[in-house]
Amino acid sequence: MSATLEIRGLCKSFGGIVVADSIDLDLTAGRVLGLIGPNGAGKTSLFNLVCGVVKPDAGSIVLDGQSLEALPTYERARMGLARTWQNLRLFPSLSVMDNLMLGPRSYSADSLMDVFFRPSQIRAHEAEARDRALDILERTGLSPIAQSRVQDISFGQQKLVGVARALMNDARCLMLDEPMAGVEGQTYALIQKAVRDIAASGVAICVVEHNVAFIRDLCDEGVFMFAGKVLARGSVEQLINDPHLTELYFGT
Amino acid sequence: MDYVFTILILIGLFVILASSFDLVIGHCGLISIAHPIFYAIGAYISAMLSKQSGMPIPLSILCGGVGALLASALVAVPALRVSGDYLLIASIGFQLGLIELAKHFHEIGGAGGLTNIPSFLIKDFGRESYVVLVLVLAVATVLFIRWLTQGPYGRMMTAMRDDELAFSMLGRNAIWVKVAVFAIGSGIAGIAGGLYAHYFRFLEPDQFGLLQSSAVLTMVVVGGMRTTMGPVIGAIVLQLMPQIITFFNLPPSILGPLQGLLFTGLVLFFMFVRPQGLLPAADLWVGRNRDGDAGHSRKEARS
Repeated sequence: MSATLEIRGLCKSFGGIVVADSIDLDLTAGRVLGLIGPNGAGKTSLFNLVCGVVKPDAGSIVLDGQSLEALPTYERARMGLARTWQNLRLFPSLSVMDNLMLGPRSYSADSLMDVFFRPSQIRAHEAEARDRALDILERTGLSPIAQSRVQDISFGQQKLVGVARALMNDARCLMLDEPMAGVEGQTYALIQKAVRDIAASGVAICVVEHNVAFIRDLCDEGVFMFAGKVLARGSVEQLINDPHLTELYFGT
Repeated sequence: MDYVFTILILIGLFVILASSFDLVIGHCGLISIAHPIFYAIGAYISAMLSKQSGMPIPLSILCGGVGALLASALVAVPALRVSGDYLLIASIGFQLGLIELAKHFHEIGGAGGLTNIPSFLIKDFGRESYVVLVLVLAVATVLFIRWLTQGPYGRMMTAMRDDELAFSMLGRNAIWVKVAVFAIGSGIAGIAGGLYAHYFRFLEPDQFGLLQSSAVLTMVVVGGMRTTMGPVIGAIVLQLMPQIITFFNLPPSILGPLQGLLFTGLVLFFMFVRPQGLLPAADLWVGRNRDGDAGHSRKEARS
């Protein structure tokens, strides 16, 4: 099976600090890949490079056969790349529902011409997005708080809103940056189920997570990163039980 | 009576200016104070077109608006591509530079000012008709901006103001939204400029400088940013106040500085006592199609 996202020879350094050292990585449709590694290994930097938040020094990123390097962030998103953020980055001035409403690849008001001259098209587009948002809110158990401000809901629910907002993209490739940090109980189970369901629908997923139990429960495969390099790829069990990697992870 | 008509026209023009400026700085969060230069561009283009080539005035006013819109895009595109912060510097540079340039162009009146601008409506229908025209356009501007900011485009502006990076990652083009909103706000200011030119029939470059920038900014801040009626109230209050003190029969040497003091004093007072302005904006954006229950029932009805 060909990869949904193909990363080849990706390099980036800030002055003397190397955050990506010729990284090769494939993400496959329907599979969840866990990125494991100590702080500073370059996991979030890899996400930023793929999203176009940071420009790489060298290397290629290909999504569904189309090269992404020359594209700005918003165009990558429109091609089916979605992500969540370690520090959430929700819109505090918008309700949960309106946070989601901005998420589709094509938004009702992307074109000003439509805003001014095609009101019926805007209305249809909005209704479609709203139905989609309601569906996602229901699946993630967020329906009761759809009209709440994001500051008024629990941290776990905020994380879930971040995932729900990314789902609006109908992405080919979804990147989750520490979706479980600070989450417990029922929300934990909800996020786990949501991620599983998305993968089952044929999306390639990449997860950065420090919670080893979550990685083990959720990921089909793991990649161990250290100092901007991919050191090993294999089953999560294999990586966790490798004494050399454990030493790198916890230090000596 | 002419005095009252002139005050009403000034109020109407400043309602247009303050509302369109609030669209740029309040709703979209674009930090620029050069709004009056686009007012000036509209005024000069409309005045010159009607004066030199005899273009019908409604058309020349419209051309002034389009000219201001294009000029603003010229400033915004390079400034916003580098970083949003540069807009403030680039726009002030553009404003002051253009004013200096205008002073040296004798074709448009130079520093002495452009005179004998053709008047509109007044000869045939009296000053009342011009008052009606300006006030109708002021109301139309306020309603248009409310419509734009409470629709899906307003949702975009709000999200972009909150977090531009997250906004881009959802597939939205932040630079385009900024350039578009800046151009719309400036275009509206340009139309107001044309209306000014054909009523007062005299333009000089210096009147569109930083003093006017601060006046429009004060109107928005005092009235309440990101509200429909805030800039309207701000424009009315700040137009009337300087007029009221003229009734005290003070010598002109005191009157000018006193009016300046009034503006700065008001900004300071509001910053300390009521930073949100007379009308505070709600902290949650609510569009005109209140979703939620309505959305639920629609979905349930279908399934």
